[in-house]
Amino acid sequence: MSNIGVDSWVAESGERDRRYTGWGGPARRLLDRIPSGWKLLAFLVVVGIYPFFASPSGVRIGITALLLAMLAIGLNVVVGWAGMLDLGYIAFYGFGAYFYAVVSSDQIGVMWPTWVSVPVIVAASALLGALLSLPSRRLVGDYLAIMTLFFAQIFLELIVNFQRLPGVSVDLTGGPNGVIGVRPWELFGFSFNTFNRNFYLLLVLLGVIVVLLRNIDGSRTGRAWRALREDTLAAAHMTTPVNNLKMLAFAVGAGVAGLTGTILGPVQVGVFPNNFQLLFLITMYAAVILGGLGSIPGVVLGALVVAFTPEILRNPNAAGWLFYLGLVGLLIAMLRKPAQIAAVAVGLVAFGYLVRFASLAVWGEVILGMPNDAFLSTLVDDWMLILGPARDVASNYAFVLAIAGVLGVIVTKGWWRLALLIPTVYLSIFVWENKLALKPSITRQLLFGGVLVVMMAVRPQGLLGTRRVQIT
Amino acid sequence: MLLALSLVIAACGDDAADDTTTTTAGVTTTDGATDTTEDMATTTTGAQPVDTCEATVAFMGPITGEVAFIGQVQLNWFNYALDTWNEETGYDLQMVEADTQFDVAQSATLAQSLLDNADVLAAVGPAGSDQVDAAGAVFEAGDPNFTFISPSSTRVGITAQYQGMFRTVPTDDIQGPQTAQFLIDQGAQTVFIVDDQSSYSTGLVDAVQPELEAADVEVITDSVSQDVTDFSALVGTIPDETDFVYLPWQVAANGQIFANQMTEQGKEAVIFGSDGMDSGDFTAPGSYVATFAPDISAVEGSEDLLAGYLEQYEDTNTFGPPVYAAARVIFEAIDRVCQTGATPDRANVQAEVQNTDQADSILGSPISFNEDGDLAEGRFFIFQIQEDGSKVILP
Amino acid sequence: MEFFLQQTVNGLTLGSVYALLALGYSMVYGVLKFLNFAHGEVYMFGAFAGYGVLTVLGGAAGLSIPIWLALTLMFLAAIVVSSGIGVALERFAYRPLRNASRLAALISAIGASFFLQAAALLLFTANSRSYEAPTLIAIETGLTMGPINVWAVRVLVIVTAVVLMVLLTWWVRSSRVGKAVRAVSFDTEAAAMMGIDVDKVIVATFLIGSALAGVGGVMVGLVFGRVFHFMGFIAGLKAFTAAVVGGIGSIPGAMLGGLLIGFAESYTTAYISSTFQNLIVFGLLIAFLLVRPSGILGRPELVKV
Repeated sequence: MSNIGVDSWVAESGERDRRYTGWGGPARRLLDRIPSGWKLLAFLVVVGIYPFFASPSGVRIGITALLLAMLAIGLNVVVGWAGMLDLGYIAFYGFGAYFYAVVSSDQIGVMWPTWVSVPVIVAASALLGALLSLPSRRLVGDYLAIMTLFFAQIFLELIVNFQRLPGVSVDLTGGPNGVIGVRPWELFGFSFNTFNRNFYLLLVLLGVIVVLLRNIDGSRTGRAWRALREDTLAAAHMTTPVNNLKMLAFAVGAGVAGLTGTILGPVQVGVFPNNFQLLFLITMYAAVILGGLGSIPGVVLGALVVAFTPEILRNPNAAGWLFYLGLVGLLIAMLRKPAQIAAVAVGLVAFGYLVRFASLAVWGEVILGMPNDAFLSTLVDDWMLILGPARDVASNYAFVLAIAGVLGVIVTKGWWRLALLIPTVYLSIFVWENKLALKPSITRQLLFGGVLVVMMAVRPQGLLGTRRVQIT
Repeated sequence: MLLALSLVIAACGDDAADDTTTTTAGVTTTDGATDTTEDMATTTTGAQPVDTCEATVAFMGPITGEVAFIGQVQLNWFNYALDTWNEETGYDLQMVEADTQFDVAQSATLAQSLLDNADVLAAVGPAGSDQVDAAGAVFEAGDPNFTFISPSSTRVGITAQYQGMFRTVPTDDIQGPQTAQFLIDQGAQTVFIVDDQSSYSTGLVDAVQPELEAADVEVITDSVSQDVTDFSALVGTIPDETDFVYLPWQVAANGQIFANQMTEQGKEAVIFGSDGMDSGDFTAPGSYVATFAPDISAVEGSEDLLAGYLEQYEDTNTFGPPVYAAARVIFEAIDRVCQTGATPDRANVQAEVQNTDQADSILGSPISFNEDGDLAEGRFFIFQIQEDGSKVILP
Repeated sequence: MEFFLQQTVNGLTLGSVYALLALGYSMVYGVLKFLNFAHGEVYMFGAFAGYGVLTVLGGAAGLSIPIWLALTLMFLAAIVVSSGIGVALERFAYRPLRNASRLAALISAIGASFFLQAAALLLFTANSRSYEAPTLIAIETGLTMGPINVWAVRVLVIVTAVVLMVLLTWWVRSSRVGKAVRAVSFDTEAAAMMGIDVDKVIVATFLIGSALAGVGGVMVGLVFGRVFHFMGFIAGLKAFTAAVVGGIGSIPGAMLGGLLIGFAESYTTAYISSTFQNLIVFGLLIAFLLVRPSGILGRPELVKV
């Protein structure tokens, strides 16, 4: 925690970043030279041909990812650029979605054409965002965060309990049942009534928003936002209109979220209170921060990672490959020297057979159970102990021990680490084959959580974020 | 042509459905473990050996997340149904699990991925009515022939919207009036209703409240979020003259807390729980619980199934047995398709599901569907919980 | 009057639990300036640890040792398990991010929270567990306060919470480590230059904060009686709210914040409506924050130029 020399380190940080030492250096220098317009175009083309190769469910997951990407870009304006922690963001998404659903379904018998409803909704969301920014004149930091969180909670309570409010006779929000039968967008007689059409609609909107926001980012306003983020007081002294800028950031973010909301209803054929739970807000934040706060390509990438990772993990086979490949990759990265890798591999195989024969000698064949039939599992089932009757209990203890072992490996060094490594790896595989592979849904959540922790530890600035240097 | 075929299928199906253990056409009986009874002689000639008759059935439910206690028990019962079926009949049916996390967006995505997987012929699930809406829209648009049998969605009218939807639980418009009638018969003057702000709960309140009010019972309503686990303040507001507290809740453990806190504050009203409260977690003596099945541990035939289940899995609750029933409906439908020599696909499996006519089921009642896909005859039973925690069924 | 008294006791119980949890958030925020989102999960594991001990001892109905001993063991087990997890979280999920942005640490905390929740689901399954406290300590036993009878478990919860808070206040004010905690939370760098081992102070903070969460977990198990894998998420949110409303980083503020929210919830339900409880409570808190933008006892943020 020593901070001696920190000032010169800060002063040189820009140059250090541009040096790009390390294996990715030349590639990144090349990438930097491509104009951002071309990069955007390349991204749109690559994503644009995705539906031709993907299955319908792949397109659907793509739509989820694009929705998340739009939301992440909007959130990035408030959090990444203007530096305000806005936890009420999800309410604007919900507001847009519900507004569109109510005026585009049979809920109250109103049917607005898309060219009317969408601009009205975007404007109304932005206005609501501007309103929510008012407390930010007085509240800063985490107090602003919690205040916006209250707003999101109030929104959720309102849509669930709307028809119970005193004096309300019309069932606007459908309560816990939500609003169903939401019509798709229809422009110039063209109805966006398939997944593919909605996918391209989202892609085009994403492109337009990215171009617009890039322009704002490069303008006076964008620079002023950054000034606000780095030091509000200094910015105010430079006669930056702090409050107006905060309001603008909230309004822009809310507008994007409202617009995104109008597409949720059609692709889901309904909107439900369940769509706007806090967990989804967390997902959005994960996308923004994982991708790299402040960077548009970063947050888009983050959204894609956050949307696709859990879906890939859903397939037990894919999760199995991820587990075993991850294990091998980690071992190689950790040991580096071929001799050590070989030693661990041999030790591991020997250890496994030893445990197997010892256990069988003591308890007999009765303890064995049915091995899993995934390809990778069949490779290890003669070596690994796949338990039968005592499977649940044994694997619970093994699970706790394996976690302790992994943590132990992280903190130890040298021979201790090598010695600890073999039983830990063995236990991990034991737990995988005896427990995790059998419970894919829970394992998926477990891995997703673990991936988040590891990713942040490896790249705290996010995938494409720039390291921000703060002087405290 | 299709109609004629399905009639033939239906005719064969009726024979086979009476006794599920005999639907073992064509299994090679080398070890003599499986018996091919005379029933099989009546099935269509040229029946395929079942080992070429392959199919995958999906399970959709909240396996993780806030109400994982529902999904986990449902998943266990599904696996139990699959294992026992495969063991009994020699089939090698496969399953895929789809974790909705009780989330509508995920339900919709999962529905699409089930449709994409050509091996999957039908699904059991999803659990809640809003998940059914989200998934149903996808199924309806993608392939209306895809069958999904919800083991726990009870909202009235939802089956009519989706061709592929069936369910193995009776709806709110059966449970609601029956509950109201019971309370009226018990001489209720004042009833305090608390819903848990879920789609399940508000649906039941909408069915119960008007009936009570029509009989001049004073009804006081309030609601509390499912996330809350302290009800002491709410319990404090129950008026002393209240006869019954009606709790249409999904989380029985919360009901138990509510009951304890009533005792603590000296409230003497009796709790009446909906079917969601029928669980080992809710054991307040003197309380009543409505449920869609008579106590299955007392039903002949079902008790063995329950014992078999408990041997493998730790816990069960009210959400489990309808999953078994739903899975069984699909398996038997696949079997009937195979009996005719056809290759099972989504359309012929759905036709067979529609033709389901089980004289008896794990739920202790016959299972057949009306044209919407609702149970043809559903009724509710009312239990009273005794001092020792056992349940006595009321006539 | 009876009604009011009853609802006050209800609010006090709820508030005590919130306060114990909020303390953990506030202490960690004090030294690290970020919200330990996984704190709720630490509390959940504490509740399960208490349940585990109770089960080993024969369950509520068949307890093999005196009740006070059983309760002590349950609290001890919860403290050990919770503080172990808390310290591990600090070491493995947060320490690598010490110099990174606070939001990075927040995401790491969220990841840890998912992981711990899934781990609980794997180890303990999804079923609700109950301490069956009414079997353990009959509902009739307790303090008679005028017209109402307060269940002994509630008394235990409130008294334990108050004692712990007094102890904690003393510890932070007077003990050597406590003073170091205050120094670090006031200015980390200056504290480091004065020879305070910042790492050790942070570990101590996590240890104490998590131990309090563990105690809170057992208390909730006793008084409300539902222990399950998701309990940390909701309680964590409430406690986080309490910590901020009290003035984040302030230890007495966290206690007051917890009590304030407990009372607000209780009285809102009692006198207005349970349906709109959250709506009204959150509305009130918004109004409160607008009047006092740094919470009850929070310092207005010092701006160094």
